[in-house]
Amino acid sequence: MTAATSLITLIALPFLGSVIAAFLPSNARNREAWVAGALALGALAIVISLHSAVADGGVVRLQLPWVPLLGLEFSLRMDGFAWMFALLITGIGFLVVLYARYYMSPEDPVPRFFSFLLAFMGAMLGVVLSGNLIQLAFFWELTSLFSFLLIGYWHHTGAARDGARMALIITGTGGLALLGGILVLGHIVGSYELDVVLAAGDAIRAHPLYLPALLLILLGAFTKSAQFPFQFWLPDAMAAPTPVSAYLHSATMVKAGVFLLARLWPVLSGTQEWFWLVTAAGLSTLVLGAYLAMFQQDLKGLLAYSTISHLGLITLLLGMNTPIAAVAGIFHIMNHATFKASLFMAAGIIDHETGTRDMRRLRGLRKALPITATLAIVASAAMAGVPLMNGFLSKEMFYTEALHTTTPFPLLGELLTYAAVVWGIFSVIYSLRFIHGVFFGPPADDLPREPHEPPRWMRFPIELLVLACLLVGVIPGRTIEPYLHTAVQGVLGEATPEYSLAVWHGFTLPLMMSLGAMFGGIALYATLRRFLLNRVDGPPLVRLVGRRIFERTLVFLSWRLARPLEARLFTWRLQRQLLIMVVVTLLVATAVLWGTDFSLPPIDWSAISPGLALVWLAGMACAIGAAYMAKFHRLAALILLGGAGLATCVTFVWFSAPDLALTQLMVEIATTVLLLLGLRWLPRRIKDARSTVRERSRRLRDLVIACVAGGGLGGLAFLVMTRPLPDSIARFFVERAYSEGGGTNIVNVILVDFRGFDTFGEITVLGIVALTVYALLRRFRPAPESIQRPKQQRLAAAHDDAHAARPRGDSIPQHMLVPSVIMRLMFPAAGALAIYLFLRGHNMPGGGFVGGLTLAIAIILQYMTGGTRWFEARWRINAVRWIALGLLCAAATGLGSWLFGHPFLTSHTRYIEIPLLGALPFASALLFDVGVFLLVVGATALLLLALAHQSIRSHRGQGVPAPTVSRKEKS
Amino acid sequence: MMIDADLPLWLATLIALCLLVGAALSLTGSIGLLRLKTFFERIHSPTLATSYGTAGVVLASILYFSALQSRLVVHELLIGLFVTLTTPVTLMVLARAVLHRDRYGDKTRAPGDERRSTTKR
Repeated sequence: MTAATSLITLIALPFLGSVIAAFLPSNARNREAWVAGALALGALAIVISLHSAVADGGVVRLQLPWVPLLGLEFSLRMDGFAWMFALLITGIGFLVVLYARYYMSPEDPVPRFFSFLLAFMGAMLGVVLSGNLIQLAFFWELTSLFSFLLIGYWHHTGAARDGARMALIITGTGGLALLGGILVLGHIVGSYELDVVLAAGDAIRAHPLYLPALLLILLGAFTKSAQFPFQFWLPDAMAAPTPVSAYLHSATMVKAGVFLLARLWPVLSGTQEWFWLVTAAGLSTLVLGAYLAMFQQDLKGLLAYSTISHLGLITLLLGMNTPIAAVAGIFHIMNHATFKASLFMAAGIIDHETGTRDMRRLRGLRKALPITATLAIVASAAMAGVPLMNGFLSKEMFYTEALHTTTPFPLLGELLTYAAVVWGIFSVIYSLRFIHGVFFGPPADDLPREPHEPPRWMRFPIELLVLACLLVGVIPGRTIEPYLHTAVQGVLGEATPEYSLAVWHGFTLPLMMSLGAMFGGIALYATLRRFLLNRVDGPPLVRLVGRRIFERTLVFLSWRLARPLEARLFTWRLQRQLLIMVVVTLLVATAVLWGTDFSLPPIDWSAISPGLALVWLAGMACAIGAAYMAKFHRLAALILLGGAGLATCVTFVWFSAPDLALTQLMVEIATTVLLLLGLRWLPRRIKDARSTVRERSRRLRDLVIACVAGGGLGGLAFLVMTRPLPDSIARFFVERAYSEGGGTNIVNVILVDFRGFDTFGEITVLGIVALTVYALLRRFRPAPESIQRPKQQRLAAAHDDAHAARPRGDSIPQHMLVPSVIMRLMFPAAGALAIYLFLRGHNMPGGGFVGGLTLAIAIILQYMTGGTRWFEARWRINAVRWIALGLLCAAATGLGSWLFGHPFLTSHTRYIEIPLLGALPFASALLFDVGVFLLVVGATALLLLALAHQSIRSHRGQGVPAPTVSRKEKS
Repeated sequence: MMIDADLPLWLATLIALCLLVGAALSLTGSIGLLRLKTFFERIHSPTLATSYGTAGVVLASILYFSALQSRLVVHELLIGLFVTLTTPVTLMVLARAVLHRDRYGDKTRAPGDERRSTTKR
C-alpha cells in the first residue's frame, strides 16, 4: 500500500466501521466493540506506518478528481502536524472504544453509540487530513453533526437534548462563519488547496479583505474550541456519556478549533489583529475557565471548565505571534489530550462505580479504588503542571514566553505574566479539589453504590495514557521530541525555531513562577476547602451572560420573531399559496423575457393534418371543460382531464414517439384512478345561492391570472418549438445509442445509460414523493362532512341489515362479483404485459418505468374490483420495501461499474447464451432498469395503499360517531 | 404508412372491406350513443364497436401484416380477446351505478319497478 492509498483507507475505515456497527444487533456489545476497536486499531496502525513519510517535513498527498470540470478535487494531505492529530484521533479513539465497551451498560443501544463514534472519528480525520479548505469545512460541519448525535445519545434526558442542541447551534453557526472565512480566503488566494494557501501568507496578510477573513475564521475556531465568549456550550455537553466526553472534549472535537488556528498560523498570524484577537480570547478563556473550574461540584463540570481553560492556553500561545510560542501550543495540544482523556475516563469510572459525580458526596475513594486513585492523581498532577509531568513542560514553555513576549504595551506583558501565575494557582486548586476531595479523607458511607475497582481492561486506557504523561514528563527527549518535531515542522516548516524540552533548565524565573503558583495554590486550597465544598454549583463574583444571551436569542428567533412573521407572511390556504406562486412566477418570467424578440416564423397552415387538428380540438375542449367543471362537477372534470391526456397521447403516437405515448397512457390511467380515489375525501362544495360582487371579482381575477399564466406558458412552449433547433446533443445520442449503450431504443438508452444519473435522481424523488404522500395521509383528517361512509356503502349496509340471511358487508362483493372475477383473470395477462414491456425496453418502446406503471395499474385494478381487504388477504404489498429495493438495485448497478474501473453507472453490453432462447442481448443497464421498475411499482402502490386504507380505517371526527362496521372489521 | 406495391389487389380489397366494416360499425355505435334516449338503451350501442367493430379492424390488421411480413401474424387476436373480456366489466359497473342512482336517487325509478322508466339524460 502506498502512502497515498493508505490516506484514503485511513479516512474510509471509520466510516465503513460506522456502517457495519449500525447494522449489528442492539445487544451485541462485544461484537460492536470488536468491530469498532479493530477498525480504530487498524487506522492507528496506518497512521503509525505513515510516520516515516511525514518525518523531516515530508508531505503525503492524494488527489482524486471529483468534479474536475469545476476544479474540485477530493484532496487529502498529511504533513507532520496532521499526522500528530491523526495519531491522537485514532490512538485515543481506540482507547475510548475499549473503555466504552465496559462503560456502556447492556441496556444502552450500543450500535448507535459505536456507529456515531466511528463516524465522528472519520469526520475528525477528514478535518485534519483535508488538503482542500472547502472540504475541511465540510468535515468540520460533519464533526458538529456527529457530536450533536453523540452528546444527545441519551436523548431521553432533557439535559442531553438541550446540551446537544446548544453544541450543534454554536459550533454549527461557527462552522458557517468558517466557511465564509474560507471563501474569502479562497477569493484572496485564488485557490482552496491548502498547499497554495499556505504558500500565500504574505499576500493574504497584505490584502484588504484579510480582517474579514480572519474574523470569520476565528469565529469558527473559537466556537469549536469553546473560547470565551462561546465557552458555555462545553459544560452543557457533559450530558454526553463519559467516553464521548473523553474523546470529543479532550482530544478531538474541541481541538479542531486550535487545530485550525495552528494550521493557518503561518498564513494568518504575525499581524496586530491576530495578536489582539487571539491573545485576548485565549487569555480571558484561560483565566475564566480556571476560575470557574474551581467552583464546580460536578466532576465532569470541573474537567469541562479545566478543558476550556487549557484550550485558552493553547489559543493564547498560538496568538503570541512567535514560533516558539506556537511550538509550546502544539506541544500542549498533545499533552492536554493525554492527561484530559485519562481524567475524563477516571471520572467516568468514579461515576460508574459510585453512582454519583457530585464532589460534595465523594470522599475517601482511595481505599475502594486504589489503582484508579493513583492513576487519577498522576493525571491531575499533569493537569496542574507538577514537575516530571508532561503538563509541566508545556507550562514552563508558556511561562517563558509570557515573560519574554514583546508587545507594543509593556503593561500588557506584565498583565500576561500575572495572569499566567494566577492561572497556575487556579489550576492547582481545582486539581487538588479533584484529588484531595475525591480520594482522600474518611470514606463516604452515603454513596448510591458500593465502589469497587473496575474491570482490568476498563482501566487499561487510563494506565496507558498516564504512562505516556509520565514518560513524556520524565524523559521528553527520548519520547516525544522527535514526534513533536515532526508536528512542528508541519506547521512552521522552515521557520521551526530552536527549542529544548529539557526537564531541568536551572533555577530560572519560570521555575520560580511555577513553584510559586504551586505553593500558592496549595495554601489557598487549604484555606478555601470548606468554602468550596459547601457551595452550590456556580462561581461567586462572576455572572456569565453568554448562556442567557444564547437562550434569549433562541427564544426570539424561534418564537417571538417567527410567530409574527408566520402570521404576516404565511397562509394556510392552498388557493392563496398557489396564487402567490403563480403570480410570482409570472412576474419573474415577464421581467426576464421583457424585450425579447417574439416574432414567429411564418406558419405553414397546409402542413397541419386535419386528423390531428380534430384530435387537438377535442383535447382542447376536454381541457377547457375540465377547468370549467372542476368547480361544479369534479367527477366530470376528472373524466375530461383524461380526455385531454388521451389527446396528448395520440399526438405522441402521431409524431412517432411510441415511448412517450405508452408512458403517457399509463400515467393517465394511474393518475385518473388515484384522483378518483381521492375525490371522495374532498370537502363538499359550499353551494351559495347568489354570489356577492366581491366573490365575482375574485373569481374574475383568478380567471385572468390563470389565463395569462397558462397562455404565457403555452406561448413560450410554442415559441421554443417553432425556433430552429441549434445543433444539440440529440445527434450524439442518436449516433451512440447502439454503439455505446447497446440499445436501439434511444429514449431508453438515454434514460438508463447516458443520463442514468438523472434517472437515478428522478426515481429517488419519486420514492420521496410517495413516502411523503403516505406520511401525510397517515394522519389524514378528512372534512367533517366526508367522514361518514359514502351513501352507497351505507345503503348497502342497511340492505344487508334488513335481510337476516345476509351478513353485513355482503352485498357489495356480490355486486362486483363478475367484474372482479374477470379482472382476476386479467391479472396474469397484465403482469405478463408489464414484464414484456420492461424486458424489451432497451430496444423497443417500453422500459422499467412503463413496465412498473403497468404492473401498478394491474394491482390497482385488483384493489378496485376485489376490494382492499380481499386483495390484502392474498397479497400484502410491502410497498416501502419495493421502493428501497429498487433504489438499492439501481445504486448497486451504478456502483458495480466502479468494480471494473469505470465511472458510476457505466453500462456494459454483451450477448448472453440462454438455454432455449438462444443468444440474447443483455446490458447491465437492464439491472438499473429493474431498480426503476421496482421503484415505480412500489411508489405507485404506496400511493394507492395510502388512499385505499383511508376507506377502511375509522376516522375520528367531531360529532360523528365512528361507524360500528369499521371497528368490527378492524379487530 | 407505406403501402406495399406487391400486395395483390384482391387482398387489398378484402383488407379495405374488413377495415370499412369495422369502422362503419364503430361509427354506428357512436351515433347510437349520441342519439338514443335512455341510459339503458344507450349502454348497448358501444358494444357494436367493441365486438364486431373491433373484429373487423383486427381481421384487417392480421391480413395486412401477415401478407406484409409473409408469415402469420396473430398478435392482434389478443386485442380482440382483451376488449371482449373487459368491455362487459365497464358496462356492468356503469349499469350498477345507474341502477343505484335510479333506486335511491331522488327522481327516477329503475326498469323492472312498477312505474315506467323515465331515465333521461
